[in-house]
Amino acid sequence: MKNKDQTGSQQVKIKDLIDRYLKVHPPGGIPEQARGFHLDDDSLAAFAEGNLSERETRPIVSHLVDCSFCRHITAELVRLDHAFSENDAINPLIENREPSKVSEVLSGLLSRIFGTSDNAVFAHDEKNEDKDTEEVKDKE
Amino acid sequence: MIMPPEAQPNVNLPNENDALMGQIYGRCAENAPNFGVTVDCFKTSLQRTLRKYLTASAAADADALEIKQFIEQIQADDLFLALACASGSERAWWEFDQQHRSYLERVARHLAKTELDAQEVIDTVYVELYGTRVVDGERVSKFATYSGRGSLRGWLRTVIWHSVVDLHRAGHDDVSLDEITENVGEGTAHAGFAIPAPGGENDMIGHITRERYRRATLSAIESAFSSLEDHEKLLLLFYHVENMKLREIAKMVENDASALRAWFQRRSRTHDSNQPGRIHESTVMRWLEKCYARILELFRSELQTKYGLTNDEIEICMELATQDLAGNSIFRNLTAT
Repeated sequence: MKNKDQTGSQQVKIKDLIDRYLKVHPPGGIPEQARGFHLDDDSLAAFAEGNLSERETRPIVSHLVDCSFCRHITAELVRLDHAFSENDAINPLIENREPSKVSEVLSGLLSRIFGTSDNAVFAHDEKNEDKDTEEVKDKE
Repeated sequence: MIMPPEAQPNVNLPNENDALMGQIYGRCAENAPNFGVTVDCFKTSLQRTLRKYLTASAAADADALEIKQFIEQIQADDLFLALACASGSERAWWEFDQQHRSYLERVARHLAKTELDAQEVIDTVYVELYGTRVVDGERVSKFATYSGRGSLRGWLRTVIWHSVVDLHRAGHDDVSLDEITENVGEGTAHAGFAIPAPGGENDMIGHITRERYRRATLSAIESAFSSLEDHEKLLLLFYHVENMKLREIAKMVENDASALRAWFQRRSRTHDSNQPGRIHESTVMRWLEKCYARILELFRSELQTKYGLTNDEIEICMELATQDLAGNSIFRNLTAT
């Protein structure tokens, strides 16, 4: 009984010790410039969702242990996912807004960002699809 | 610079997998016949994903079954939509806007400091998704980097996150990327190490002894931590450094196929924690406790074998460390022993 209590007490102490140690000396310590690369959006997102196999996960976990930048993003992505899934459970998202025509949205954005109307960027021929889109809108 | 992990140049696909890709394409094309994605474009994208994920840093080549499962797990409809948007299909963009725009706005508002910043992030992300850069006569859309390995929404969250970091960074040229990320989102509060300042005491022998114990303690804890497996280290880092809550970690491993979950469950001897389905906070706590137990074992072993400390001295080391952490003077305690 005494031994069990002692082990429990030691475990509490080691927990505090590791907490302090990791906050002060997180592993890796490799400068951002020397680290070479960060995980891309696709890998980070797939890992945060738990979609990757063991083979795919191994190098990512290894990177996350050493890279505070990617680790922090991963933690925030999981947090976001969690926060939003809780919110959605309470207030289901009501999508009742009519989406605007995307070429118009993007042209507007570019005008604001670059100061010109860059319609030429959207000059691909999609008249038929535009027509389809209008029809769908009319139906709705 | 954001780069994917190393990928090998080629992966040989057996014919049956080519047929499987064709079937999946057929289903997607049936669901969205006017997106204009060709079967070649779809297969090329899948092959690129296979190269990136399945053959990257692999110890052994993936077998046919593994490749088949991989293809079946692809979020095909999301990928189909992304490919169509990348090629500039107006119908696909309309669909994307309807399905995801308000979600993008919510995430941006959640992460950005002001409404103005949130709007700027959304604008930037839309422009990036469409792509304004032209390489070899082709517009480069951000959508082309989505692989379908995770959900499109998960990927979009990450794109927004990076955009928020870039926006923040634009206003702080002299701050490193690491520092910036720690200031975006809920962030982490890195505390200073509570090493007590020299109190002006003159007990030189006591001081040397304490310093010896302190060095041994630090070395042993370092060694114990580095002896853990990577997934155990990551769990501890998520919990202690990133301040993730147990329920958030549980959320991360709720997917039955999660590799992290599989590694921890393999170590677990209890039957209940090996069941599929939801992972409870108490399960994550048990995983953490197993990590602490392993660290304690390795810590004690290191102090005994490398530093030749007795059990009593190990107790002193732990006591010293505890008092250091509390910010109190350790001198009184050592004098008493």
